[in-house]
Amino acid sequence: MSGPPFSVVPDADTVIQLIAVDRTFDSEPPVHALREVNLTVRRGEHLSIVGPSGSGKSTLLNTLGLLDRPTSGTYWLDGVETNALGDLERTSLRGSRIGFVFQSFHLLPYRTVEENVMLAETYRRPRPGRGRAGRRARAEQALRRVGLAHRAGFRPDRLSGGERQRVAIARALMSEPALLLCDEPTGNLDSENTESVLDLFGRLGEQGMTLVVITHEEAVSGRAHRRVRISDGRLTEEHR
Amino acid sequence: MRSRKRVPRAAASTGTARAGGRAPATGTVERPWMDVRDLWSEALAGVLARPTRSALTTLGTVLGITTLVITIGVSSTAGNQIVGRFDALTATSVTVGVSSADPAGPGPLVDWSGVDAVRRLAGVESVAAIAASQETAGVEVRADDVAAPGEVSGQTMAVVAASPTLPAAVRGGMTTGRFLDDGDIARHDRVAVLGDQAARLLGISSVENAPAVFLKGQAYTVIGILGGVEREQQLATAVILPPTTAADRMGLGTVTRVLINTALGAAGQVARQAPIALAPGAEASLTVTAPADPAEARKGVQGDVNGLFLVLGLVSLVVGAIGIANVTLVTVIERIGEIGLRRALGASRRQVAGQFLVESTTIGLLGGVVGAALGVVVVVIVSAVKEWTPVLDVRLALGAPVAGALVGLLAGLYPSLRASRMEPVDALRS
Repeated sequence: MSGPPFSVVPDADTVIQLIAVDRTFDSEPPVHALREVNLTVRRGEHLSIVGPSGSGKSTLLNTLGLLDRPTSGTYWLDGVETNALGDLERTSLRGSRIGFVFQSFHLLPYRTVEENVMLAETYRRPRPGRGRAGRRARAEQALRRVGLAHRAGFRPDRLSGGERQRVAIARALMSEPALLLCDEPTGNLDSENTESVLDLFGRLGEQGMTLVVITHEEAVSGRAHRRVRISDGRLTEEHR
Repeated sequence: MRSRKRVPRAAASTGTARAGGRAPATGTVERPWMDVRDLWSEALAGVLARPTRSALTTLGTVLGITTLVITIGVSSTAGNQIVGRFDALTATSVTVGVSSADPAGPGPLVDWSGVDAVRRLAGVESVAAIAASQETAGVEVRADDVAAPGEVSGQTMAVVAASPTLPAAVRGGMTTGRFLDDGDIARHDRVAVLGDQAARLLGISSVENAPAVFLKGQAYTVIGILGGVEREQQLATAVILPPTTAADRMGLGTVTRVLINTALGAAGQVARQAPIALAPGAEASLTVTAPADPAEARKGVQGDVNGLFLVLGLVSLVVGAIGIANVTLVTVIERIGEIGLRRALGASRRQVAGQFLVESTTIGLLGGVVGAALGVVVVVIVSAVKEWTPVLDVRLALGAPVAGALVGLLAGLYPSLRASRMEPVDALRS
């Protein structure tokens, strides 16, 4: 096994650093979902990961989202080496550093838009100056950022698909994450709503938010600064 | 091993990254944490998200708790009433029976004067002795001496002898005239007192004209009529003679029964002492009939009423628990996506389990509160209809909701475990 290409600690501007990450599933025959993956994402970058289904896209997303552990290799997230962490610490890190945006939104249907956004702060100790009392105000602010302050009291089922996804993005922004990890964010949207979500991604990128978008849609990946392709578990940089 | 680990953070203090409230660069990775108020509000929102289902889920617990509260409430209420009735008459009545023939002793086992010995016992309010026998149980009694042809004016009645204190001892009173007194006894007078039924049968309603009755062809002057007999009610149809007269003429010399009325609560003690006072040294050959201990009577009654319904209530509770477990399990499976989302937002397995556990406990508590309220209302209604005083234990009213919550807690254990064991990857995919 060749030594990892980076043996030094990543600097503060590196949000993601994958070093020789392998993921093998112990099925019969064994599935090699990720092979020798190296990836560095700098703060403020807008990266898209493209690839056909079965290429290892989901495994890469789960690894990046701390939902899955690599079989070998090192994963640094926002300056923390995650391999050695226990389940509880990974859970906590996931909640505080990563804002998830899912294809199916994952909004709670029986809670208002505002309550859905506030949920992001439920599972962690309040930060200094970000107490429980101010949570509603911060949720309103996050909703303003995605242009949905006027929908705060609505139930998700009264919103359009694009609005729902923007609520989910507001929820992801609420926890002030180091990156937004988006899994097919426009997969359930028509072209008009897709446009509104991509515009929002563009604005967030301009504000310095780190975005990692996994998609198979050209229109979506075209908006990213940088594109990597995954096939058969191998990652290749695409140059335009 | 896995407790808060120092994690190297690259150039954490340089802070060249964009400004903003990012995680404080302490170098430690925090653990999931949840405010109790958040846990409660998340669980409550979960319960209220499907109000109809939650309400239906509580039904089993409501039924179980209601049954238990009604069972315990009504039986303790009824038990108190039954014991109350015992107190009125039975709890203060002691009867000493004397076997008619004593083969060993030369004389009578109990003397008429034994009554005085019993009266001196503490707790005795009234006492009287009676003599009756098989031979005098059916004596022909006539109200006049003339036997008109074809007319049957005779009646068959019991003839007994009694001490002068009998009216008090049987809790009766003289309807008219007077009872036997010591003078009658001392003089061996041929006088008789009739029970009120006997007097009616013989056509005697007043003693003003000193009517006579004829027993075995001998005339006795009726001096009074005894009525309102509560104990020894067969005396209402009897002819009562002075002991001396009865011994002379009817062969009724031996005391066969001693009736004692005691103060409330003294019955047990008097029942032990009376035989000794009546027949020192031969008390074993006397039979004493005393009321059961009131405390034991109460316990017995409650035991009878409780047993079956307690089982019924417990069975309903178990059914209720299974219902909650079932619905919570269905809810968990329906909310897999939500569980995945919460894990993605940083919820630990324990926090996910805690939420479902609090939800099922809340449903159980709700069932317990409603069940306790319904049960108390039913106990009060039953008491009102039966004109009883409802006996409601505060511990019961407060314990029932707690029991309901406990049922919910137990029922939620398995579904919560299932929820917490879900892998976030799988949960998010659904």
